[in-house]
Amino acid sequence: MSEETELMRISWGPQHPMSGQFRLILETDGERVTKIIPDLGFTHRGIEKILEFRNFVQGIVPIERLSMLDAANFNLAYVRAVEELADIEVPERAKYIRNILCEISRINSHLYAFGLVAEAAGGYPAVFLWTVADREPLLDLAEMLTGARWSYSFFVPGGVRADIPKGFKEKCLETLRYLENRIAKYKECWLDNKVFKARTVGVAYLSPKDAIRLGAVGPNLRSSGVPLDLRKDEPYEAYGEVDFEMVVLKEGDCYARLLARYLEIVESIKIIRQAVQNMPEGPIISLPKPMKKKTETLQDLLRLAAVGRFTVPKGEALARVESARGEVDVHMITDGSAKPYRVKIISPTFRNLYVLSRLPEIEHIRVADIPVILYSFDPWYLDADR
Amino acid sequence: MLEFILEFVKTYWAQLARVIIVPGIAFVLLFDLIAVWFERKLLAHSMLRIGPLHVGKVAGWLQIIADFIKLLAKEINTPRNANRLLFNSLPILLVVIPTTGVAFIPFGQNWIIYNPGGLSLLLFLAVMSLTVFMPIMIGWASNNKYTIIGSLRAGYVYISAEIPILLSAIGVAIMAGSFDLVKIVEAQSKIWFIIPQVLGFIVFVIALLMESERVPFDIPVAEQELVLGWRTEYTGINFGFVMMSEYSAICSWSLLLVTLYLGGYNGPLIFGDRLISSISWVLIKLAIVVTALILLRSVFPRYRIDQALKISWHYLIPLAILNVIISAGLTFFFPQLKALIG
Repeated sequence: MSEETELMRISWGPQHPMSGQFRLILETDGERVTKIIPDLGFTHRGIEKILEFRNFVQGIVPIERLSMLDAANFNLAYVRAVEELADIEVPERAKYIRNILCEISRINSHLYAFGLVAEAAGGYPAVFLWTVADREPLLDLAEMLTGARWSYSFFVPGGVRADIPKGFKEKCLETLRYLENRIAKYKECWLDNKVFKARTVGVAYLSPKDAIRLGAVGPNLRSSGVPLDLRKDEPYEAYGEVDFEMVVLKEGDCYARLLARYLEIVESIKIIRQAVQNMPEGPIISLPKPMKKKTETLQDLLRLAAVGRFTVPKGEALARVESARGEVDVHMITDGSAKPYRVKIISPTFRNLYVLSRLPEIEHIRVADIPVILYSFDPWYLDADR
Repeated sequence: MLEFILEFVKTYWAQLARVIIVPGIAFVLLFDLIAVWFERKLLAHSMLRIGPLHVGKVAGWLQIIADFIKLLAKEINTPRNANRLLFNSLPILLVVIPTTGVAFIPFGQNWIIYNPGGLSLLLFLAVMSLTVFMPIMIGWASNNKYTIIGSLRAGYVYISAEIPILLSAIGVAIMAGSFDLVKIVEAQSKIWFIIPQVLGFIVFVIALLMESERVPFDIPVAEQELVLGWRTEYTGINFGFVMMSEYSAICSWSLLLVTLYLGGYNGPLIFGDRLISSISWVLIKLAIVVTALILLRSVFPRYRIDQALKISWHYLIPLAILNVIISAGLTFFFPQLKALIG
C-alpha cells in the first residue's frame, strides 16, 4: 500500500441487507480493509433510565427488551441483583426451572447466531432457514412453560411465575431428541463444508492474550482458549448441581467462534435434560425476610409490588450472569424505596464490538470477510445500545 | 400485403420458427421465467419453506409474471451524478448479448439459427465474452462505492473464468476435429465427451459457475457484502433486465455445456419424429444441468475473490492446459480412438 493510495470510506449499514440496525464505517483500499469503526446508537432507548421509574417487578419487562432472543438470561441478571439486595432465598425448584428456561433461551440465541454466520458467508444457504425453523419446537416449549414464545418475563424476584405444567417433561425430552438429530445435520452440511471452512478458518484470529486485553466475552473469549464461564466459575442457580463441560477451543478464528456456539448447544441440551429429570419438589417462589408468610404465592408478590410495599433496603449489588453472548452484569444501587436508584447494565455485545474495532492482524482482512467476522462475534445491537 | 406475408411465412417457416419459437426469443424468455420460478420453488423446499404459492392456483406459477409486471410499473431511478446514457442503455445490451449466444447452439441436425460455416463454437465464445465489459461499465456509470467494488470484482472473475472455458472447449474441439458445434454433437453419437473429456468437463463446470455468477462464485454481486454489487443502483425494469440477463447467461452457458459434453441433441427417438426428439433431448439435458446449478445454491457459501482467482489460475487453467495436451496426444497417437467414439 503506497502512501498516495486514497482510501475509500464505506458506510456499511444501516441500510444494508446484512447490517441490521447498525453501521460499520470501513476504510478500504480496494478489497483490503484498513480500519473498522463500529457505529452504534441507532436503537438507543434509554433502558437504564426507564428502569429507574419502574418498581422491581415492573423492571423485568424493559430489561428483556435488551435482548429479545436471549430474554431469560437478561431477566435473570436483573432479578438476581434484586434478590441479593433484598436478601431473598430462592427455592430449589425455582432454580431448576430458571436453569431450563435460561438454557432454552441460550440454544435459541445460538441457533440464530449459527444461521446468521451461515448467511453472512454468502449465498442464502438452506442452513440459515433450517436454524430458524428448528427454533420453533423450542419456542413451543417455552410457550408451554411460560405462556409466551419469547419475551417471557417469567422470572420474578424470589422465584418464577409458574410451576412446570403437566406433560412438560415428556415434551421437553422429545424436543431435545429432535434437536440433537437436527444439529447433527448442521455439522454434516455446514461445519464440514469445504467452502465454508475456506471462508472462516484462520480469519480474524484472536489470540488468548488479545482476547483478554480487548475484553472479549462469552463464546468469543472461550473459543480463543480462555476458560471463563460464569456457569462454571461462580455457579449460580442450579448450575453447580448439573454436569456439563465448559466449551473451550484453541483456534480463536471465525470458525472456532461458530464451533464454540455449536458445541454449547450440545452442552445446553445436556443441562436441560438433567434439570428436567432431577428437579426437586417444593415451592417456586419466596418473599423477602421481612414480608415472610407461611405459604407464598406469586399473587402475594404482585400485590406487594402494586401498592409499593415491595421495597429493598438501601445498598448496592452486582449480579453476573452468563448469557448466550457472554457475561451480562447488572449493577444496581437502591435507596430503600420501591424503585432502584440507578441500574447500570454492562452488556456483552458492546464489549465484543470493541474487539471488532481493534481487531489485531487487520491487514489480512478483506471486504468479503466483514460480514463473516461481524456475525461470528454474534452481535445483538439492542443490548449494546441499551 | 396479406398474401405477401403468407408467402413469406410459407417460404421461410423454418427460419421463423427457429428465431421466434425454439431456440429463439420465446424459448429464452420462457426459460428466464420458468428458471426463476423453479429456483425459488426448489430453494424454498430445500429450506423447509413453501415458496411462491398464492398467485396462480398451482404452485404460484403466476408469481414471476406478477413480479415482472410490478417491475415494469416501478419508477426508473437514475442516481445523481451517474452517467445517464450508459446507466440506462447498458441493461438492454446486457440482455441481448447472452441471448445471442443461443443462436449458435444446435437443437437438431439442421435446427440452428445461424451456422457460420464451421466456426460456431468460436463465435459463441467471442459473443459471450463481450459480457465482461458490461459490469465494469455499469459499475463506473452508476457512481456508487458498492458498484465500483462489485464491477472490479466482476472484471477479475469473468476474465479468470473465460480462459479455462476457452481452453476446455478447445479440448473438445480437438477431439471432435472441428469448431462446428453440429459436428461436435455428431461426434458424440456413440460416447458423450463427458467420458473422454472428464477433466475438461470438471474445469468447464466450475468456470461456468464463475462466468454466470452462480454460488459459490457469486462474488461480484455478493449481497451480504456489497448490497447487490454492480447491480446495486438499478430499479424498476432496469433491474428486471439485469436479472433476465443473469438467467439468459445461465441458459446460453448451460446449453453450451450440454452441446459440448452431454451429447447435445443426441438421444433415442422418444417422440418418433427426429426433430422434436432432438429438441426435447436438449431441453431435458438443459433442465438437469440447471437443476444441479440451482441446488448448489442451497449448499454452498461464497468463495472470497482471492480464493476464486486462486482456484482459477492455480488449478483450472493448468488442468485445462493439461486436458488440451492429453486430448491432442490421444487424437494424434491413437487415430483409431476417433473411430471408436464416433
